[in-house]
Amino acid sequence: MQRRTWLETAAVWSVLSTAGHAQTHKPSSTAPLRVGLTAVILADQAAFLTRWSDYLAARLGLPVVFVARESYQAILDLLFSEQLDAAWICGYPYVMHQSRLQLLAIPLLAGRPYYQSYLIGQPNKASAITGWNDLKNRVLAYSDPLSNSGWLVAQAQLRRAGLTSKDLRRSFFAHGHRNVAEAVASGLAQAGCIDGYVWDTMQLQNMAAAAQTRVVWRSDWYAFPPMVNLLGNKNPALPAFGAALQNMFTDTQGQSLLKALNLSGFATPDATLFEPIKALAASVGALRA
Amino acid sequence: MLPRFPYRVQIPLGLALAVTLSVLLVSIVAARISARNAQLEIVNRVQSIVELLAAQGKPLLAQDDTWRAYTLLRNASALLPQTAKGQSRAALLDAQGRFLAASDPRRLPTGEQALGVLINGRLLPAVSDATRTKTLTTPDGGMALIEPIRSDDAQVIGFVFAEVDAAAFDPDWAALSTPAVIGAALAILLLVPLGWLLGRRMARPIAQTAKCIAQIGHTDPEQLQLLLPYVKDPELERIAGAVRQLLIETSARQANAQRALSAERLAAVGRITAAVAHEINNPLAGLITATRTLRLHGDQPEARNRSLGLIERGLQQVRTITTALLPQAKVEDRCMTPADLDDMLTLARATAAQQLVIITSEVDVQAELCVPSTVFRQVMLNLLLNAIRAAGQDGQVHARLFVTPDKVSFILANTGKHFSDERLQKRLMTNDGNDPHGFGLWICHEFAVRYGGGFTADQAADIPPPFTTRLNFWLPNLARHDPQKSAAD
Repeated sequence: MQRRTWLETAAVWSVLSTAGHAQTHKPSSTAPLRVGLTAVILADQAAFLTRWSDYLAARLGLPVVFVARESYQAILDLLFSEQLDAAWICGYPYVMHQSRLQLLAIPLLAGRPYYQSYLIGQPNKASAITGWNDLKNRVLAYSDPLSNSGWLVAQAQLRRAGLTSKDLRRSFFAHGHRNVAEAVASGLAQAGCIDGYVWDTMQLQNMAAAAQTRVVWRSDWYAFPPMVNLLGNKNPALPAFGAALQNMFTDTQGQSLLKALNLSGFATPDATLFEPIKALAASVGALRA
Repeated sequence: MLPRFPYRVQIPLGLALAVTLSVLLVSIVAARISARNAQLEIVNRVQSIVELLAAQGKPLLAQDDTWRAYTLLRNASALLPQTAKGQSRAALLDAQGRFLAASDPRRLPTGEQALGVLINGRLLPAVSDATRTKTLTTPDGGMALIEPIRSDDAQVIGFVFAEVDAAAFDPDWAALSTPAVIGAALAILLLVPLGWLLGRRMARPIAQTAKCIAQIGHTDPEQLQLLLPYVKDPELERIAGAVRQLLIETSARQANAQRALSAERLAAVGRITAAVAHEINNPLAGLITATRTLRLHGDQPEARNRSLGLIERGLQQVRTITTALLPQAKVEDRCMTPADLDDMLTLARATAAQQLVIITSEVDVQAELCVPSTVFRQVMLNLLLNAIRAAGQDGQVHARLFVTPDKVSFILANTGKHFSDERLQKRLMTNDGNDPHGFGLWICHEFAVRYGGGFTADQAADIPPPFTTRLNFWLPNLARHDPQKSAAD
């Protein structure tokens, strides 16, 4: 609750700040571009979001507002109800709603549009888990029911290990990758499924929850959570927004923002990159759309 | 140790000690009260938090949302006592009594059974027994609270569990003692200089009084009275008043002593006058007798010469006595001769005749004789007159002059009252000359001491009966040492 309130406060602050900045470029009547953020990134850093929205607004010529929500579904709901122009969502909801969504850009991690899912556990414990087979009668934390790395990959691996949800003592959703790390670090769960990019970024930023956990298992490489918009959205700023993202690596300010995001850039959309996720969802019977 | 210090040190130290002791006692009492209140406060606080968790946790239990339950418990447990030290914790339990989430998941693991099993050494009631609020205590003072959470239709959908270890009820000694120590330090900072001033002010009249007491005997009491302080403090005023009274009495005593001294001086003058009169009166009595003899028998040459010689020697004795009274005078005295004994016997016989006392005498001169004639004559006359008085009516007195090369002795025995040596010495020691009745004996003793002789009483072995004791006065015979020299006084 506290975190959500904080995020909303940051978002509002970003709006005000951006609006003020945008007046130097465009008339105040210009509608802002609203971009939804999910737990695919560490989105609760107000100063960074302000800098990023300022950066994008300067290039788009209109204000950019980031709207953060804890759950992927909440952002999807806003996107589908056209309260958002674009959203940074996970690959799994993208493949679920691929027919209604359009890719704007795909982030590049270390120059590649891929990331991994991690199974993390508690370090230096006599009863520490070493793999999926050790999860029987343990507590497992997921990130979000619409997360590829934080739920879908885990379902496939549990199935491969011959385990079902009933074999776990308990499982729960922590409503964000960062919370998964904190749940494992605090002992609330013995293991957690987390976005590898988020965990690496947390460790890069010396966050305690990352320091108090260890990676037990790494998944195959999957397409990085993409920036999408609702198919049929005629907002003329959207193509420019995609281009601005893809061109961030070309200037110093953009590089600085990318470094803060622990990304190397944004790539041109390529829907084929998400086929493995689609196949994974199909394998566990989770491709509902 | 404290009483050895002066008041200006004692008082601030005493105040500081009193404050410290007070703070210590107050802290102990406050700690006990605080411990009791803290326990009640903790119980009330835990109950409030449990009620809060029951209200907030209800939708989370309904949604089976472990993470949000955890964040709720984590935030709410900050209100529990000593959570940071791990001495209290809270949890939400599902309808089966398993931990949905806990503020300290490591001690209260997610998904494990809580109700009906031992948790941290405490057996929790079974689910069926936890339909009402349960408060559990442990012998060491810890407590646990279990509150059922019900749905709108009164179905139990879960529980709130809160646990507080006994250590959380311990008084926070550091927190309790810190203000007390600060207060004591501030009080001491204030009281030490104040006490020093008070002590100095209080000690000033005492020191002044002590100074007056120390000067008693060295300074005029009337002047000392002026130095005594006038104070309002009743105890000090009593001390100063007592000293003042002492000084008044000392002053009065000194005045009395001065008066006594004057009286003593007058008495001494009187005694000297009496002594001189006594010493002069004795030869005068003989001289008067000699003049009567001369008047009656002056026509006989032998009697006339003898009486004139007696008168001359008697006058010479008086002259010598009066000259000796002049302190600057150097008295030249002649050596005594056996004729001096005859003179004294002649002078004494007049008195002896009045009491019918028989006087016999003998002279045993075995060596040349030289002792101060005036002294020896006076001693012989004194002892003869005393012996006549002691012999009484019809008594006998025997006098003997015994001269050896070493000493000249005058031995006298009498019938009637007599002295033993012990009695004589006691009389001489106790009689310092103030008793006119023993004055003659005392004079003899003083002469013996002054001239290196002796004055004793002993058995009259060498004197035929009826005499039993004798008085023996002797002086060193100066003829042995320097026969040419006069017996200078």
